[in-house]
Amino acid sequence: MSGAILDLSQAPPPADLVVDVCVIGSGCGGGTAARVLAEAGREVVVLEEGGDRTGRQLTQRDGEMYDQLYMDRGGRATSDLGVTVLQGRALGGGGVINACDVVPIADGVLRHWVERHGLTDFTPEALAPYRDLALQDLSASRIADDQLNRPNALLRAGTEKLGWRGEVMMHNRVGCAGLGTCLIGCPIDAKRNPRFVSIPRAIEAGARFFTRARAVRIDDAEGELKTVTFRSLDARGYHERDTFTLRARTVILAANAIGSAQLLLRSGLGNDHVGRHLMLQPQMPIIARFAERTDPFRGIPQSYAITEFEREDDPEHGLWGFRVEPVMGTPGIVSTLLPFQGAAGLEAMTGYAFMAAALLLVPDRPSGRVEVARDGRPVIRYTQREDHQRRIRAAAEAAARAWLAAGAEEVFVPTLPPVSARTDAEVTRFRDLRFRVAAAPLVSAHQQGAVRFAASEKHGAADPEGRVYGTRGVYVFDSSGFPSSASSHTMAPIITVSRYLCDRLLTRMRA
Amino acid sequence: MSEPAPATDHPLSFLSRRRFLKVALAGGGVLLGTAGGGLALRGCAPDVDGLRLLDAQAYRTLSRLVEVMFPASALIPVDAQAFDLPRLFDGWLADEPEALQGDLKTALTLVEFGPILFEARLHTFSNLPPAERAAHWQGWGHSRLALRRQVSLGLRKFFNLVFFDRPEVWPHIGYPGPSLGVVSP
Ligand SMILES: Cc1cc2nc3c(=O)[nH]c(=O)nc-3n(C[C@H](O)[C@H](O)[C@H](O)COP(=O)(O)OP(=O)(O)OC[C@H]3O[C@@H](n4cnc5c(N)ncnc54)[C@H](O)[C@@H]3O)c2cc1C
Ligand code: SF4
Repeated sequence: MSGAILDLSQAPPPADLVVDVCVIGSGCGGGTAARVLAEAGREVVVLEEGGDRTGRQLTQRDGEMYDQLYMDRGGRATSDLGVTVLQGRALGGGGVINACDVVPIADGVLRHWVERHGLTDFTPEALAPYRDLALQDLSASRIADDQLNRPNALLRAGTEKLGWRGEVMMHNRVGCAGLGTCLIGCPIDAKRNPRFVSIPRAIEAGARFFTRARAVRIDDAEGELKTVTFRSLDARGYHERDTFTLRARTVILAANAIGSAQLLLRSGLGNDHVGRHLMLQPQMPIIARFAERTDPFRGIPQSYAITEFEREDDPEHGLWGFRVEPVMGTPGIVSTLLPFQGAAGLEAMTGYAFMAAALLLVPDRPSGRVEVARDGRPVIRYTQREDHQRRIRAAAEAAARAWLAAGAEEVFVPTLPPVSARTDAEVTRFRDLRFRVAAAPLVSAHQQGAVRFAASEKHGAADPEGRVYGTRGVYVFDSSGFPSSASSHTMAPIITVSRYLCDRLLTRMRA
Repeated sequence: MSEPAPATDHPLSFLSRRRFLKVALAGGGVLLGTAGGGLALRGCAPDVDGLRLLDAQAYRTLSRLVEVMFPASALIPVDAQAFDLPRLFDGWLADEPEALQGDLKTALTLVEFGPILFEARLHTFSNLPPAERAAHWQGWGHSRLALRRQVSLGLRKFFNLVFFDRPEVWPHIGYPGPSLGVVSP
């Protein structure tokens, strides 16, 4: 059987399809699962609602790329618009649009899962080989010092001046030319993401990828053969067209922490935990203004992290505290984060080339929920908790100190109204940061939870092998299963866990 | 484990706010004596050809909003009206799910009647003098009412994204453009 990519906006899928495995979603979780299972000789079909864009089809333009590469055309948010929820929607999933930082799942986090969440098989020793394989898949390497762009070099200088711990991160780029538009796709295909690693390998091994194919329902979850209903979309992915079905012995959900729960809820599958325990890990930007040009739109946007205040072995939470990392985007997306309007907004953007922004990355507790509306779309409910707000305030204060130590003229958090500091003494102002809905730019890029792995169905929605409780062959192989935050960056942990769960599934299949 | 109380101030979700929006509009009608009074104050908007979803009234509201958001300025001497951003919004919204279309159409009506509803004035948004319109729109972002901030945020995000994505704007903000040159969408 030969593998292929079939665009359902152009042609229908084969009729009467019966396969071993249907994977839903082609990102880090799904692409990896498709590859491992196809290489093990299983007949695999992947359903992916995004389109396939590579090379110069990635135009480096905000409007077109957010529309085509992000879920809900870049407009996804919590139901109260309090948190913008960014997720990829493309062949290759979030790997196509992410910032390429590789931060593996820490031993401390795994021990926390074993001890606090009863996932006794997720020991650091058991996961270590899969973590190594994930790093290999990603061609992970340390970013070279001379690849730090100006904002990253400045934050590093400020951090070192203060004597804090920080690190140049690992990434999954090969042949990066520092073009700077990672968040809307790399036009020279320098990212070693699923689109260029697991998907081609899966195709070589015979897997078929249907793009512009949205899974809408799973039936007969307890039977030998499950029926997956899916709809083709138009070429730009806006509207549903025709309805199809396929049958599969095993269904693997890897549609991201929102999409996997959404599909289970739409299908009426699983227990009461489905949709609960969602973590959005909301981040907040902080922006520094320098007297000299920083040209933040060029070079690798995110390569350095202040790690002084992060810990990976908090007894109650596992990963906790916060970290700070520079980031920058193209003008359109940056302007949406600024709190100024009218003439003040225009004036603020004239300083674009002199800005350096950082993200305050703060893990959260599992406190959100995914529900589905009558039309099947997800409704994301999330309430930011006091302890998260407290750590964001502390992170803003730390980031401001580092930017000022690096020579920034002013640092501000783009809430409405903004809070700013020009001197060390003024950074205590960030202790009063307020988080009113739709007036504080919280952004989520690392959604986790919502189909939580647990040793018993009393405490979660899927067992430690990823099988959804109450079903026979429906699994979740993405960050939906994580019982607490796996990492400040979820790509490597998802590949690690997906590979690990695939091996367990194959062992069971063989048995 | 004792959890601290939720700290956000949202009474209802935006996407299920249609009823709330409609109640707010009806409330405005009552303020004026009759809903018809409000419609008369709004006046007629010039016809616009080729819209996919919005009507001429909504198009006019958006045109006024664009004037307020991107005023002619020495800093960025670009005529935002020339980009016809309201038509772009119309095209975008026409491909969105029905529920969102309904919400945003109602939100635009709310913006139009904002001065009447929230400031007890006798002008709709489009009929306010330009300087007062800018001040009024600022009030949406800073409002104590989460609903008004949400409407402001949603519209600001859309229009900022598309305005600053225009190559004509880039020289004025020091952005040299995409490193591989401009590929037309
Ligand atoms: C802007 C941004 C920057 C990030 N930066 C980093 C970073 O630097 N480092 C890092 O480690 N992580 C980063 N992340 C997070 C990381 O990219 C994601 O955690 C990861 O891609 C998630 O993998 P996944 O396989 O679970 O889901 P995704 O990659 O989101 O893939 C899920 C796929 O499923 C598809 N899908 C959803 N529902 C359906 C359905 N019903 N039918 C068919 N298909 C469906 C979607 O279109 C999508 O392509 C970033 C994320 C974002 C958004
Ligand atoms: S910095 Fe540029 S070249 Fe490097 S991965 Fe990002 S988009 Fe590609």
